[in-house]
Amino acid sequence: MKSITKTFPGVIANDKIDLEVAQGSIHALLGENGAGKSTLMKILYGIYTPEEGKIFFNGQEIRVPNPRAAIRLGIGMVHQEFHLVPSLTVSENIALGYELIRNGLVDRKAQRRRIAEIIEHFGFKLPLEKPIAELPVGVQQQVEIIKLLYRKAEILILDEPTSVLTPQEVDNLFGVLQNLREQGKTIIYITHKLREVKKICDFATILRRGRVVGRVRVADVTERELANLMVGEQVIDYIFPRSGQVGEKKLVLERVSAIDDRGILALKEVTFTVNAGEIVGVAGVQGSGQSELVEVISGLIHPAKGKIWLNGKDITRASPRQRREIGLAIIPEKRKEQGLNLNTNVVENVISTRYYKSPFSRWLTLFDRPAEKFAQRIVSEFSITMSSLKSKVENLSGGNQQKVIVGREMIEQPDVLIAAYPTRGLDVSAAQFVRETMIRRRDQGGAILLISADLDELFAVSDRILILYEGQIVGETKPDETSFEKVGLLMTGHFHAS
Amino acid sequence: MQAELPHLDPAASQINVEDSAEQIPSAILSLSRMLLTLFIALLMGALVIWISGKNPVEAYRALLQASLGSRTAIANSLLAATPILFTGMAAAIAFRAGIFNVGVEGSLYLGGFAAAWVGFTFTTLPPLLIIPLSLLTAGIVGGVWCYFPAILRSRLQVDELVTTILLNYVAILFTEYLVNGPFLVPGLANAMSPQISESARLLRLLPPSQLNASFLFALLAALFTIYLMTRTKFGYEIRMVGDNPQFARWSGINVVNVIEKVMVYGGIFGGLAGAGQVMGVHYRFIAGFSSGLAFTGITVALLVRNSPLGVLLASLLFGMLRSGSATMEIMTDVPRDLIRVLEATIIFFAAIEFGNLLWRRHREH
Repeated sequence: MKSITKTFPGVIANDKIDLEVAQGSIHALLGENGAGKSTLMKILYGIYTPEEGKIFFNGQEIRVPNPRAAIRLGIGMVHQEFHLVPSLTVSENIALGYELIRNGLVDRKAQRRRIAEIIEHFGFKLPLEKPIAELPVGVQQQVEIIKLLYRKAEILILDEPTSVLTPQEVDNLFGVLQNLREQGKTIIYITHKLREVKKICDFATILRRGRVVGRVRVADVTERELANLMVGEQVIDYIFPRSGQVGEKKLVLERVSAIDDRGILALKEVTFTVNAGEIVGVAGVQGSGQSELVEVISGLIHPAKGKIWLNGKDITRASPRQRREIGLAIIPEKRKEQGLNLNTNVVENVISTRYYKSPFSRWLTLFDRPAEKFAQRIVSEFSITMSSLKSKVENLSGGNQQKVIVGREMIEQPDVLIAAYPTRGLDVSAAQFVRETMIRRRDQGGAILLISADLDELFAVSDRILILYEGQIVGETKPDETSFEKVGLLMTGHFHAS
Repeated sequence: MQAELPHLDPAASQINVEDSAEQIPSAILSLSRMLLTLFIALLMGALVIWISGKNPVEAYRALLQASLGSRTAIANSLLAATPILFTGMAAAIAFRAGIFNVGVEGSLYLGGFAAAWVGFTFTTLPPLLIIPLSLLTAGIVGGVWCYFPAILRSRLQVDELVTTILLNYVAILFTEYLVNGPFLVPGLANAMSPQISESARLLRLLPPSQLNASFLFALLAALFTIYLMTRTKFGYEIRMVGDNPQFARWSGINVVNVIEKVMVYGGIFGGLAGAGQVMGVHYRFIAGFSSGLAFTGITVALLVRNSPLGVLLASLLFGMLRSGSATMEIMTDVPRDLIRVLEATIIFFAAIEFGNLLWRRHREH
């Protein structure tokens, strides 16, 4: 791939990216969230069209207008979310959309034979006649891979394949990938996990903020070097003044453990305190337990063990609304799914956390006027741009949508704010605005827990940084007393190297 | 800090709250959609009449005449609209909250029986006591009936579509057992309960039509529902949960509670619809008396995309079709089943919408 450029409104996702992948190798595409890995691969797979750049395959220039074309060329992709029909069997799923037809009918026999050949050839072991729904995630992933082989893929793109797997399933996957490499298949492996790169990949291209920052032969570099390339040098273009004075304890977690929706222990005995007048940052690679941390503090899941105090009150068993009443505000991780109701207007979106109180309602009735006034106040204080208060939130830009959430959560000066990736996907000025809002709240005595994937941001606004790794707090540091390198190593599980 | 913020000119960020330009087209759109669906349905009906060798214009004229042509005709249309008002509102609210409560039919039967039981048991009570008591009992029984699948859904994630469909059979057959067993009236050919006392009967508004006070209750319930959905906290919660349950949860709305309340609300309406038929029309419980009134309510709700105001209008319209069809049959020889053709056509188009709803539901699971 040569000089690929792709922009989304307000962001350059890929900035003149060159990528060269050798046949018969496993090539890692390494980078943090939002580095542009998935975008680049979606271009190769024909989901996005780049503004600029060319793609060559076996020396010939190709055009990939859609996934169907990519498959015809021999390029296949396994997405993070599987595209399988739960009620159909393994073999039906594999052949789906590419059935072998004879005399206008599906030739099940020939189809089964061909799948059996593939399975034998590449050394898979799985039950072909079982419905997908009865199989564990790891096996479903193998079905996705076989599906690509059935479609005669030469290049297989795997998007963070281990994020949904248990450790044993990861070992199985690596076995499969090694087999595929031996059979001459080419694999592009999207990840942010260094250990996996080191273990399974031959080459690595490292992306940061939409650019290539390194191309290496994996055998030649250490994990530490990879980590440095991935998180990069600190860009000191803005640092906010640190907290002036730290007050009393506002949010306390004591040995909190939590189980995620897969039933796996996602938080392990997490203990920390956030005080009035400070921003505590949480660093960690994606999937280290951040989502569960936010959910357990918000009251959406209950801790399996441990206690949580908010403003001096034990809220371990309190409902989400009770917690908000005690002074909690939350900027959720997923803006469109959790933070907003895209189907309705700004007014109804900003009253969602307080509609049941005066002046918005009395007894049964909900009043329009106070809600509109309140929305108007948020719109002007947070400079939200839109055509009317009655416009659907869906039609707002990403930055303005985020401002609606930030406005709703912060306009009444919450004692404690949990901000999960509050600037993700925002352009520079909108991101800066959100950070300034948090700093201002801190200076007025608010306690803020900031979860972010952006180390620059964490170093710029945090007064303390906690490092989360596999559900545990593995380090606590102050941004002025540490470096990207040290935090990056802790984030990736190297506790003793520093 | 304040000075650094890129504040807009206050005049520029002042937004006209009254600007409802974006709302009008959507209202017009849904109204014209409903009219278009109806028009196509009538066209299909005309085709069927024409194929069977009769005159569609004449048939429709007879239908109109029979549903609006006289005081009694209008009263009969309103009578037919009465239970549909209740069940249509019940369906609209549930769908708006993203819940597939199909159990209103069961509540209708049980509520109807409960009202009849009060009516033929406490025969000495005066009207002022027994009528509210009957309605109250019917509402409670109907609500409780829908509370079971509600708990299963909200606490244990058991699909309410399946449980409510199945529980309907339980309710219908149970009431049938009651009038064939414990409450059997010897000497009657059909399975029905004893008559309710004179004082438990609802006032007939325009005799000889059977139109009775239950229409007024239905109208009140419909107006209350319109108010509820647009002007109350509960209506707001229903809309937020229906649009995006995750958002509702993160905002601190108790989604479980909203789902349970919505289903119980539907059950109460079902119970009241049944009570209205028993106390105002039949004066007793008759096994199998509903023949799918709750499902007509679902059709109505789908036709108007769950808008309570739309349900009000469409229920009246369905009442007209239903009541006019019998007379049409007599006068033009076009069988009253034609109305079923019209309804089926409407369902067909509404089903596209229903398919969308199901798809959304599937995605959320």
